Amino acid sequence: MLFKLCAKLTVGKFLRGDSMKLEVRVFSGLEKYLPGITFGQAFEIDVPEGTTGRGLLVKLAIPESQVFSMLANGRHFSFDQKFHPGDRVALFPPVGGG
Amino acid sequence: MLTETQLKRYTRNILLPNVGAAGQEKLLQSRVLVVGSGGLGSPAAYYLAAAGVGHIGLVDSDKVDLSNLQRQILHRTEDIGRPKVASGAEKLRALNSDTEVIAVEKLITGENADDVVRSYDVIVDCTDNFSVRYLLNDACISQQKPMIFGGVLSFSGQLMTIMPGEGPCLRCLFREDPSPDASSCAEVGILGAVPGVIGALQSTEVIKYLLGLGNLLMGRLLTYDALTAAFFEVTLERDPSCPSCAQL
Repeated sequence: MLFKLCAKLTVGKFLRGDSMKLEVRVFSGLEKYLPGITFGQAFEIDVPEGTTGRGLLVKLAIPESQVFSMLANGRHFSFDQKFHPGDRVALFPPVGGG
Repeated sequence: MLTETQLKRYTRNILLPNVGAAGQEKLLQSRVLVVGSGGLGSPAAYYLAAAGVGHIGLVDSDKVDLSNLQRQILHRTEDIGRPKVASGAEKLRALNSDTEVIAVEKLITGENADDVVRSYDVIVDCTDNFSVRYLLNDACISQQKPMIFGGVLSFSGQLMTIMPGEGPCLRCLFREDPSPDASSCAEVGILGAVPGVIGALQSTEVIKYLLGLGNLLMGRLLTYDALTAAFFEVTLERDPSCPSCAQL
């Protein structure tokens, strides 16, 4: 019975397509993948609940190899981690020249 | 005690609030290590020498190349082929004989990093690759030395002041080596004045740290976009799982 209820909730959630908002900023050249977005400009994006760092990059069409650091709420965030609603995300390429 | 010449030379420093003659004397007694004498190291070292920092260590293993001269303002056309530290030390000594410049022509490695940073008050990261930055980061953490990180790419740059145990370190922010496919200055270029901006800001952070002035860029990654002429600040936190500084 419990299993059926959980399955029903999960299916219901899936059918409703529950999404969450993230606030994203990209820096130092990654903006070239996002027409209309400028360096450091914050924008909101709707993603499905459970979206990972890697999933966000797919949605933004930013090649994984170009992203050196992903931060969520000011902390390192791995491509395999899942976001929470309202997370503030920052993406950087390697700004490593000197 | 400042000499008459020094009082005149550093008048504009001494006039600054909370600097004064005492602050100038402190600068003259300070030891700063500038690692990398290229695009970032040139302006950083120039401003530190001009300010009257008493001891500057200049570390680099490269020689001056023609392609450096578009941005690496410590070096001139006639320096091509010379060790960068020899060329750079010469310019700094010519600028200010109060500054003792120690030229260290070597590559930072895991074996020598601790020894290289040991005798300095603050380290300025002006390197051009993350492998060396990680070594410096770890050496500064192990010896509790502040490090001013700087980096540039194309039309943009960034910097952050790392205070071991107090704020996030480089590994809190940048965990892995960059992908070999990621963009680099050698591929996408670098506007010469951009490392000028970032290097000057790095030297400002050094002087603020040495004199206890203002608020350091600790836990704040300052990014600069030359194309929109804008600065953005990203607030950072220490990562409790950081492989370099979590134990502090």
